[in-house]
Amino acid sequence: MTVLLLSIGFGLITASVIAIAGVGLSLQFGVTNFVNFAYGDFMTLGMYLTLLCGSVLHLTVYEALPLVVGCTGLVGVLVNRLVLESFTRRGSNPIILLIATIGVSLVIQSALLALWGSQFQKFALGASQPLHLGPFIFTPRQLIILGLAVAAMIVIHVLLRYTRLGKAMRAMSDRRTLARIVGINTTWLTDWTWFISTAMAGLAGVVLAINTASFTPFTGFGFLLVIFAAVIVGGIGKPYGAMLGALIIGVITSVAASYMDSAYKDAIAFAVLIGVLLVRPQGIFASRGRG
Amino acid sequence: MAALGYYVTVLAIFACIYSIITIGLNIQWGFAGILNFGVYAFVAIGAYSYGLVTLGKPIPGAGQSYILGIHAPFVIGLLAAALVGGLAAWALGAIALRRLRSDYLAITTIAFSQILWLIAGNETWLVNGWDGISGIPQPLNGMLKLSFNNYNFFFLALSLVMLALVMWFAQVTLRAPFGRILRGVREDELVVESFGRNTASLKLRAFVTGGILSAIGGALLAAYVGAFNPSAFLVGETFFVWAALLIGGSGNNWGAILGAILVPVVFTEGTRFLPSIPSNPQLIEAFRYIIIGLLLILTLKFRPQGIIPERPDRFQRATKRDRRLRTGRAAAPDGEEPPHA
Repeated sequence: MTVLLLSIGFGLITASVIAIAGVGLSLQFGVTNFVNFAYGDFMTLGMYLTLLCGSVLHLTVYEALPLVVGCTGLVGVLVNRLVLESFTRRGSNPIILLIATIGVSLVIQSALLALWGSQFQKFALGASQPLHLGPFIFTPRQLIILGLAVAAMIVIHVLLRYTRLGKAMRAMSDRRTLARIVGINTTWLTDWTWFISTAMAGLAGVVLAINTASFTPFTGFGFLLVIFAAVIVGGIGKPYGAMLGALIIGVITSVAASYMDSAYKDAIAFAVLIGVLLVRPQGIFASRGRG
Repeated sequence: MAALGYYVTVLAIFACIYSIITIGLNIQWGFAGILNFGVYAFVAIGAYSYGLVTLGKPIPGAGQSYILGIHAPFVIGLLAAALVGGLAAWALGAIALRRLRSDYLAITTIAFSQILWLIAGNETWLVNGWDGISGIPQPLNGMLKLSFNNYNFFFLALSLVMLALVMWFAQVTLRAPFGRILRGVREDELVVESFGRNTASLKLRAFVTGGILSAIGGALLAAYVGAFNPSAFLVGETFFVWAALLIGGSGNNWGAILGAILVPVVFTEGTRFLPSIPSNPQLIEAFRYIIIGLLLILTLKFRPQGIIPERPDRFQRATKRDRRLRTGRAAAPDGEEPPHA
């Protein structure tokens, strides 16, 4: 029983990381309608930017966070403007855009490899004492991750419900043509979507690196399938679904890892992913299918 | 001079193997529009199957553990690879192709590939875990008793024969009614369905064919290198094949071969004159991947049909000629439109 509760606790932390990443990926898919295979590499970018802030500006991980998140978002906008926008304007098939993001992924990953090499990197974080909270044991670091995730979810919720931008995003992902007809400025919307989505990736990357302690230029890409799993379980393009999907994938993988060979932790997520795709490709929580 | 000859021979052998794998992907993506991101899963299945069948029983205490080990000859190894590769493709395709849209299929095939990768790495009894299997016998090397260099020439000839067979098969498939209807599925599934054809079964046949060819490529790879381990089938390898096909020209088998020659050569030769920096040994490798990534993006942007575009079929050519005759000027190049853009 204790093992179960403990692993659920770990699951909540994993879920926090996945939720931040998943909501960002889902927002971007909803608005632009193609799968971004470079998303994991934006996470890795966030990790290395934090490292850079530490060595150049002598900022701690938490001090650097706003700067890193903003910069990752700007790189996202830049990538969209330089690479992807011309495909969208030409009316390319979403699959072509998907393949183009693989090119972007290769470039970001390899640029980080060229600058830092493939050795494991670490944030300079002090030791942290575990705290007992009811049946759970968390380190203060894990509580910060949890707090950041909750804060990010609240921000996204406020954005989607109460701002013009968020309403436009929801309109765009719900009925693309209709949204265009009523005069939503798509360039403005796409730029903001890329900024928010990749900024979330940057945040998720930093949080992932805090959680797992070490990383390489390939860490984000390796995490991408786990994010896909959460996003698809929740219904792709639906940010609220992604939050629930993250919770499910995070808890399932952590619980499974404590009862079986933890090397297969990710395999569990992939198996859930394939299962959901085959049985309910619109996601578990989708109220009505839209093809 | 001898060193150069050796170097070119090795490059040519890899180009042949790579071409076979790329033609396999061309049948899946170029012909039928199936977004398979698990290409190297099938290469790995072929390589492991070949290795397990041709190796002898694992010697206890020699540090390798794996199943089977029946010391079968090359041809049996090749057939085993094709069979297991085909069966795996059939199993995955039968459940995944029927219901999934392209982007979900891409994610599913990557997930399949990653699950196989985790199993191959963690189940040491199966294929010797992360260390992988080694000492895979090279075909006929024991019998021919050739020198190291001459054996390379022999293997090149063998690879060329295999590539010629695969190419002949792919060209026949392309021109056959089956190839034509696959392109129909790629362009508009609904139209093909409304003609009463079962598109799911057509796609499955293309997927299995491609899986078999990838597995044969994997078998040759294992036979030549003599070893295979999980680090040889990372997702990046699959994207490499994709880059080769898209840059060479998807839908055209010659384009697939050109890409398979070009991309690895660019990869190994394109960064030859960069200085190597001791503090970062991966620098050159990283630049190679940056070049491939940029090349992929630029190809999609400026020449989505690839270097050798798909040949318009006889009907398209005829209508184009007809239009040109009637209007008395050069027809719009509609036959050269990118197949998927």
